[in-house]
Amino acid sequence: MFRSCRRSLVVSQISLAMLFLATWGLAAPVTTRPVEGLRSNTPDVHALVGARIVVSPGHVIEQGAVVVRDGRIEAVGRVETPADARVWELSGKTIYPGLIDAFTETSVDTASIGSGAVHWNDQVTPQLDVVDSGIRDRDANTKLRSQGIAARLLAPAGRILKGSSAVVLTNNAAAHTALVRRNVAQHLRLTVSPGRGRSDYPGSPMGAVALARQTFSDADWYQRAWQAAEADPGLPQPERNDALAALAAHVAGQGLFVADAANELFVLRADSFAREFSLNLAIRGSGHEYKRLDAIKACNRTVIVPVDFPKPPNVATAEAALAVDLEDLLHWELAPENAARLVEAGVKIAVSTDGLKDVGTFLKGMRTAVDRGLDAEAALAAVTTTPATLLGVSEQLGTLEPQKIANLVVTDGDLFDASTKVLETWVAGERFEVTTQPRFDFRGRWSITVDGEGPELTMSLTGKGTKLEGTVRAVTDSQPNEAKAGDATPDESETEASDESADDRDAEGDTKLSRLGVQDRQLSATFSAKELFGDGVVRLSGVAMEAKRGPPMLEGHLTLADGSRKTFSATRLAAADDGEDEDDEQDEDAQESQKATAEVVTFPLGAAGRSAIPEQPQSVLFRNGTVWTSSDAGVLEDASVLVIDGQIQAVGKDLKAPRKAVVIDLDGRHLTPGIIDCHSHMATDGGVNESTQAITAEVRIGDFIDADDITIYRQLAGGVTTANILHGSANPIGGQNQVIKLRWGALPDEMKLATAPGGIKFALGENVKQANWGDDYTTRYPQTRMGVEQIMRDAFEAARRYRDEQSAWQQTGRGLPPRRDLELEAIAEILEGDRWIHCHSYRQDEILALLRTLDDYEITIGSFQHILEGYKVADAMADHGAMGSAFADWWAYKFEVYDAIPYAGALMHNAGVVVSFNSDDRELGRHLNQEAAKAVKYGGVAPAEALKFVTLNPAKQLRIESRVGSVEVGKDADLVVWSGDPLAITSRVEQTWIDGRRYFDREDDLQARHRDASVRNRLVQKILDSGEEMASAEDREADESELWPREDIFCHGHGHGHGHEHAE
Amino acid sequence: MGRWMTVRAWLVLAMTVVIPVVASGHPEIPGGDQGRPVAIIAATVHTVSDGVLENATLVMRKGKIVAVGTDVAVPKNAIRIEAAGKHVTPGLFSAHSDIGLVEINAVRATLDKAETGSVNPNVKSWVSVNPDSEMIPVARSNGVLLALTAPAGGLLTGQSAVMQLDGWTYEDMTVKPATAMHLNWPAMSPVLDWETDESAKEQIASRDTALKNLRAAFDDARAYAAARAADAETPVDARWESMQPVLAGEMPLIIDADDLQQIQAAVAFAAEQKLKLILHGGYDAPLCAELLKKHQVPVIVSEVYRLPLRRGEPYDTAYTVPARLHEAGVDFCIAGGGRFGASMLRNLPYHAAMAVAFGLPEDVALKAITLAPAEILGVANRVGSLAKGKDATLIITDGDPLETATQVEAAFVQGRPVDLDDRHKRLWKKYEEKYRRLGRN
Repeated sequence: MFRSCRRSLVVSQISLAMLFLATWGLAAPVTTRPVEGLRSNTPDVHALVGARIVVSPGHVIEQGAVVVRDGRIEAVGRVETPADARVWELSGKTIYPGLIDAFTETSVDTASIGSGAVHWNDQVTPQLDVVDSGIRDRDANTKLRSQGIAARLLAPAGRILKGSSAVVLTNNAAAHTALVRRNVAQHLRLTVSPGRGRSDYPGSPMGAVALARQTFSDADWYQRAWQAAEADPGLPQPERNDALAALAAHVAGQGLFVADAANELFVLRADSFAREFSLNLAIRGSGHEYKRLDAIKACNRTVIVPVDFPKPPNVATAEAALAVDLEDLLHWELAPENAARLVEAGVKIAVSTDGLKDVGTFLKGMRTAVDRGLDAEAALAAVTTTPATLLGVSEQLGTLEPQKIANLVVTDGDLFDASTKVLETWVAGERFEVTTQPRFDFRGRWSITVDGEGPELTMSLTGKGTKLEGTVRAVTDSQPNEAKAGDATPDESETEASDESADDRDAEGDTKLSRLGVQDRQLSATFSAKELFGDGVVRLSGVAMEAKRGPPMLEGHLTLADGSRKTFSATRLAAADDGEDEDDEQDEDAQESQKATAEVVTFPLGAAGRSAIPEQPQSVLFRNGTVWTSSDAGVLEDASVLVIDGQIQAVGKDLKAPRKAVVIDLDGRHLTPGIIDCHSHMATDGGVNESTQAITAEVRIGDFIDADDITIYRQLAGGVTTANILHGSANPIGGQNQVIKLRWGALPDEMKLATAPGGIKFALGENVKQANWGDDYTTRYPQTRMGVEQIMRDAFEAARRYRDEQSAWQQTGRGLPPRRDLELEAIAEILEGDRWIHCHSYRQDEILALLRTLDDYEITIGSFQHILEGYKVADAMADHGAMGSAFADWWAYKFEVYDAIPYAGALMHNAGVVVSFNSDDRELGRHLNQEAAKAVKYGGVAPAEALKFVTLNPAKQLRIESRVGSVEVGKDADLVVWSGDPLAITSRVEQTWIDGRRYFDREDDLQARHRDASVRNRLVQKILDSGEEMASAEDREADESELWPREDIFCHGHGHGHGHEHAE
Repeated sequence: MGRWMTVRAWLVLAMTVVIPVVASGHPEIPGGDQGRPVAIIAATVHTVSDGVLENATLVMRKGKIVAVGTDVAVPKNAIRIEAAGKHVTPGLFSAHSDIGLVEINAVRATLDKAETGSVNPNVKSWVSVNPDSEMIPVARSNGVLLALTAPAGGLLTGQSAVMQLDGWTYEDMTVKPATAMHLNWPAMSPVLDWETDESAKEQIASRDTALKNLRAAFDDARAYAAARAADAETPVDARWESMQPVLAGEMPLIIDADDLQQIQAAVAFAAEQKLKLILHGGYDAPLCAELLKKHQVPVIVSEVYRLPLRRGEPYDTAYTVPARLHEAGVDFCIAGGGRFGASMLRNLPYHAAMAVAFGLPEDVALKAITLAPAEILGVANRVGSLAKGKDATLIITDGDPLETATQVEAAFVQGRPVDLDDRHKRLWKKYEEKYRRLGRN
């Protein structure tokens, strides 16, 4: 197989080389297939000579040769042409390594694994190998080769753990020879698309991550369990599972994982998932990575980026523009700079055709990226060496070096130059012509001599390639043929002179040629006979013949209208110009104006984004205001609050400002603790509900914090500083909640309040028993409140037993190692006091029943949420130590809230229950101070106590009162400046501080509006100026993360809906 | 008014929550017709039509306001309500609600809001208003005494009526039947979010169908009128018959529209069809204020507590709609009945107050939930302000009528005293009693 090793070859690892051998079967292969008919012994040796050779990014040989033998590169550079080689003269051309498309995918048939031991969930198919579904796709390959792509990663599409991919060549060979490497990577999609059924687990992105997490954990267990079982035949045998086996092997071998990342936040999510399981990860990017550059750089992962840049949004009319988000406008402008910005930040990238509707526009996209700042060398690396290394095929692909597979691209110029054409793509030594070069270039002026009687003619042919146009005219005395055929060849240019004279002649006497056709060396055309050959249409056909001496001749015949034929011969007078037409120049002009923009990326990108987290002054003094402390100190008039390093240092009168302190003169205005919303569903794009099973304790809101949710900013403007992001109420035991601080502009992980203890959503009543789900949902257990009570007990019992088994194994080491069950793990944490229940509750009976259940397991509840009839059993709540987080005045949206009353807060409060008012709503969360005032109205709670309903009390319910909830020394400086009494409905938030940083300021907000408006105007003008085709309304598709609910859709009749906004 | 012992006693009674002694549900008893004149004395009177009068007296007789001012003679036989420090305000008026048509949103059996089909101009909301709905006493407990009750769903949803929120039957409650016809303007540009299953393409197709059906309904109604005029024997078509007052410009057409494109299209449609147009929704109305002024189109701002419709808009966009309409000189009122429906109608004054927090003058805010809806809906001759000759439909509060902590202490509908008890107060008292017995309050 290795015919020669004339040049030094470095094989770094023997084992690696062995691996290559296993998958390597190229030209002149050792084949098992019997020969049919004659043996083919066509020599397979080529010398591509005279070209500029780009050996690898940054390594160029200005003129040299590439010798290819039996599909491999034999020699590169100033080498002698082997005697047995076919010579390809390529002077003036450039040879690049064949490009590698780092990501393509194909839907695969899961039938191939169907008969094995499959995973219980059909979203988990790591044992699926894309090669088993066939890798040959002629149409795709033709397109890919037209872009210089000689190899590609082919991944299986669909599902969460999708299966393994392969690197395949883009020749049209079957797997026997086209497969470079299989099992290259395992592919992950750590989310699902909206629209899955309500009983199809996982039904949400967070469910998808939970399933993946459990599966990776199971794979680890699977391996250990089988080891134990094999070591001790007396043990029970674990289940067989092809999925877990495949996954375990891939993880153990440090195999590559490629995770889809639909936007920049998914990159960070995939990265933390990979860290959890120490995976070797690369990212299939979206083109949005520039939005969080530093964070993505910190992941230190290779990102495979697309070059499918968006069309400009429709801003053709003022009305249409109104619906266009600033972020989309900015993305139109910045998407082409994604690759450049990543490279500049030091992120390793590969580029793929992923996402392109037409793969034939790949190079166009690459060139745009280069125009917009991507270093050309880096661009080349992104389609050669980087993917080769990433995909474990750098010994075979990626550069023009001896021993590598002979994948080459021949171009007529710089690959990233707009006018450059890919002429040929060689795949494993097989030459594929991309741009059909005419066998003979007919362009120029010809002198035609017609035999016998007939006029002497001049024929002019212009055009490109095989698409020609032209004229004939009779030679008159006034304009004799200027010269006899000289040595003009098509390659030389005398273009200017001949062009000018052609223009002169256009005026009169020309007869246009029609139906001009070129095939191989034949030319055909028709023209009107008038004035030349009488009436009718003349048909011309001729063949270009090489002359023994001198230039080629065109010989053929004319068929006249009457059917008679005349032979002719023609000689070329002058060659045509070489096709630099005006279009190309215009393109270049257009690109001139497209250089990299200076637009600063804000966090998040678009409206109200900021260029950095607000600074934390070393000291801040709020002075001369009314301070609602939400502590025993009550409401202090003419008071001051001193903040040092983000924490409250002193509260009182006459505090002195330290040197260089930022002083906020309240001037009689009011200062309160930051508002805490104990029940929110904002800032998550994980779907809110994993509704498909009655118990989903394994899912985590924290896996899907959407730091870019504009609701965060809007609620900051309402004084909210901390929020409890809860799973919805679709099931008795839902997912784990996440407490965040509203650090607008920060990363998702930075928003998490790290010191908040874990929590979990429970739910009771109509939602969990599917009372309002419709007639298709009447069988899932439970369907009654009786069943709800039982399923809770059953879960606690199972978790207790789970822990017992774990500790027994740890003590004795006997038996199979216990499988880690993340669902029971979370419930066991409740039993152990490490995870707090926040339970959605309505009717008094279910409230009491849960309290009794918890009492039996010695669990103290974290909080009751909604707790609409808590006022009926406030004594029992107080006795248990249960706190209640309620709506101020919602009622009657479903039957179980017909008895909800706005006096509930006061009644519970008076009975000794710690009460908070929450929003559960993106709008209501913006004025929770007004909700607190309703406790004054309905039941006469004292104002300072009422304010605690939205400050200290929710902090207590979330067990974070040591950090936040009141204006007390040592707590975080989470503070709100109000224009007046915070319980007065006409008061407005003027500033919101978190950690001693000013996250909202109404003055700044007004300025940001102007800034955003001017950016918007600039972009609208730029789009209108660009003349680019705008995206049509009909073609609009939403970012998938926008299609997941941002509220608890199972909380029926909340009135969350659009109301009258969408007429039918 | 036999129950009234003395005036002072009555006020004390009104200020305390009373659990009426009745045997069955819906215990709040409609007020009896006014017998003797009633004088509210020494109050701060928000006339709305004529400014705020301090230390003023208002006299009502036979259900009408007969005098209001600082120099008013109190009739000798009048029941006197000493109201120093109290505020008197016209009964709050929601210009768009579903009160009486909806009891519990998630329970289909309790919904009478949306008829099937998309063209229902003939249905009349008021004939389905349940006078014993628990929503009604809750709403009036916070001063809401008047509401337009409107049908919903489909394209032409039906006819609405102005109702007063006290009475034995819907007929007692109806202030003005057939106040307006209602139309949902189709969404003009696609919305892609989790509440929409349809693709952008499908939404555009639905829109085009709806616009076609809309125009067809008006054309058919005109053709029907022509046919009936030509031949009286032409069979009656309930739908087209009911649209004749709208086509004649006698009955206003209330079009639901928030988006600029919707609003512009609606105004153009009304001009083309020569209709009397009122907008409901109105989120983008400030963006085309000049158009609305030119065509004299008033706006019912559906609610102030709303999220911005578009991500990049200022956070307070919905809060400032009333202030911006006011500054531009567009006639408007605030309905507060949108997203949460009847159960939250009691929060109407807070919608107005939120608009004040974001720039609307306070007197204009109060007008937006009293006189302005009356003017827009054509009942200002009867209700909406405290002026001689108008219905004595008013409230007495212990403070600023827009502030949260303010309590409504008394209310009158056409001079009839309103029982201010409600389901919530009953349950509150019941469980106060529980904890009193347990010694835990």
